[in-house]
Amino acid sequence: MVQDTRLIELKGISKSFGDTQVLHNIDLYIRKCEFITLLGPSGCGKTTLLRIIGGFEMPDEGSVLFEGADMLPVPPYKRRINTVFQKYALFSHLNVFDNIAFGLNLKEPEALGVKTRRQKKEEIARRVNRMLRLVKMEGYEKRSIDQLSGGQQQRIAIARALVNEPEVLLLDEPLGALDLKLRKEMQVELKAMQQQLGITFIYVTHDQEEALTMSDTVVVLNGGRIQQIGEPKRIYDEPKNAFVADFIGESNILSGVMKEDCLVEMLGVEFQCVDEGFGKDEPVDVVVRPEDIMIVGTDVGMLTGVVESVIFKGVHYEMMVNTGTMRWKVHSTTMQPVGSRVGMSIVPFNIHIMRKEA
Amino acid sequence: MVRRRRRASKAFKITYLALVLAFLYVPIAIMIALSFNASVSRAEWTGFTLDWYRKLFHSEAIISALKVTLEVAVLATAASTVLGTLGAIGMYSMKKGWATILTNVSYLPMTTPDIVTGVSLMLMFVFMKIPLGKGTMLMAHIAFDTPYVLFSVMPRLQQMNPNLYEAALDLGCHPLKALYKVILPEVMPGVVTGALLAFTMSLDDFVISYFTSSTDQNLSMIVYSAARRGVEPTMYALSTLMFLCILMLLLVVNRRSRLEDMSN
Repeated sequence: MVQDTRLIELKGISKSFGDTQVLHNIDLYIRKCEFITLLGPSGCGKTTLLRIIGGFEMPDEGSVLFEGADMLPVPPYKRRINTVFQKYALFSHLNVFDNIAFGLNLKEPEALGVKTRRQKKEEIARRVNRMLRLVKMEGYEKRSIDQLSGGQQQRIAIARALVNEPEVLLLDEPLGALDLKLRKEMQVELKAMQQQLGITFIYVTHDQEEALTMSDTVVVLNGGRIQQIGEPKRIYDEPKNAFVADFIGESNILSGVMKEDCLVEMLGVEFQCVDEGFGKDEPVDVVVRPEDIMIVGTDVGMLTGVVESVIFKGVHYEMMVNTGTMRWKVHSTTMQPVGSRVGMSIVPFNIHIMRKEA
Repeated sequence: MVRRRRRASKAFKITYLALVLAFLYVPIAIMIALSFNASVSRAEWTGFTLDWYRKLFHSEAIISALKVTLEVAVLATAASTVLGTLGAIGMYSMKKGWATILTNVSYLPMTTPDIVTGVSLMLMFVFMKIPLGKGTMLMAHIAFDTPYVLFSVMPRLQQMNPNLYEAALDLGCHPLKALYKVILPEVMPGVVTGALLAFTMSLDDFVISYFTSSTDQNLSMIVYSAARRGVEPTMYALSTLMFLCILMLLLVVNRRSRLEDMSN
């Protein structure tokens, strides 16, 4: 699916607004047909980065290449990129059909593969109708924008962008205003559309689950710096630092010391792990996911503690277990009553060692 | 006890309101009534007549003043609508500090007493050696009408989704095309309200017109000069018609702004 050619390359992008620097020396490439997500908390610079790619913002430093050619002098209306804006930005003075046809109407008939004005009109109608089918909004052509629900407006915004057959589609938190159920449905549909059309998607969100569900590649940003780039599974399983571990999924993060390869000491206990290449006695951050902690008998546990609280979360229970030195978050499908003493065990593979952030 | 006090306070409120309204509208009501009075005297009612209205439309001076008034109002409205709308869009896209300064500068003409505006404009025209007539009156009207359009369009722009302009660019519009294909339709309700307001202001202006035109007179100026010679009931008729025109225009403007508030 994802091709190896680099479609867009960002090199050393920096950007400040007034006194605040929002992007620090960003290097990133985006491959053809990739679904790439810029993920981070609000204010991390992800939207600014997207706006630079769209041409709505100029970086202070650095370059943006499109198929190897400098893209910065190209104005937004000439880029082969379309955007789905955060609040849709649909044109309320036009109906659904004319919103979607907006970009096509601006094109010369030749650009649509026809000769006359009349043929252009027919061709536009054909393409708009195809888009309406794709976003499952047939029969809504004549509706005014104000008559649509949030989810429907969302679909029209996507159709309006996709009908222009862009090389790249930029999406700025497009599902942010939708309720949870609709959001989940749209995630699946968006991913399906992307695969069906073979278009590169650059997606901005602060929702880590959304990022993991849809993306080929996730770029985690914080404070205007890239924290980690990788496939969703890799980012989840092997977070590069404490920020990523904390931001993606839930985790227990604690300090430790590498005693030797594959042996880490934390909370005064030595644990087998699978990480190598750290210096002897190097201080490290250790991440253990709550679902990777197994509740066992107190006699066989590596750690023992008292259950302080239990919350039912649907599929699992979330328990806080106090070992005296640390409060652990544990996910388990079996419930242990509050106050009971339990043993905990972690297999070496599930202990992730990260270098301390400077 | 409490109930009696409440009743007394209610009675007071109604009396107060009635007094205020009477103060505002009784003079106008009397004027309207007198415009239908057969007698020239203000003291007695001798019967209903439409003669004064008939006479009004046979007076050459009044017909020509009506022409001046409409001509100036239409042209001033057109020019100030274009200027005000473009000005609002310009100020909207400016850096915040400058926009604030310009906003305040534009407010000033609306709060300056008409007489000051009138005298200062007259001085300027005289200084520039432009003969005072219909042309200078038109320029003056454009000057005081423009802020009304500006401040009707501005709120529409501020309510607009800031991404709309970018969406137009994104879909392939040149900046200028984005302006008239997306921004203008989006702020159009504000533009129409502004134009109506400007037209109203222009129609009923007296003070500024009086100072900036000597050869041509509009309706307000005719009423004023006639009043100096001693008021004739035709002037009551004329004032009544002007009052009704303005009233209707303002009703339209108010209705539009109320509808707009509701749709937001």
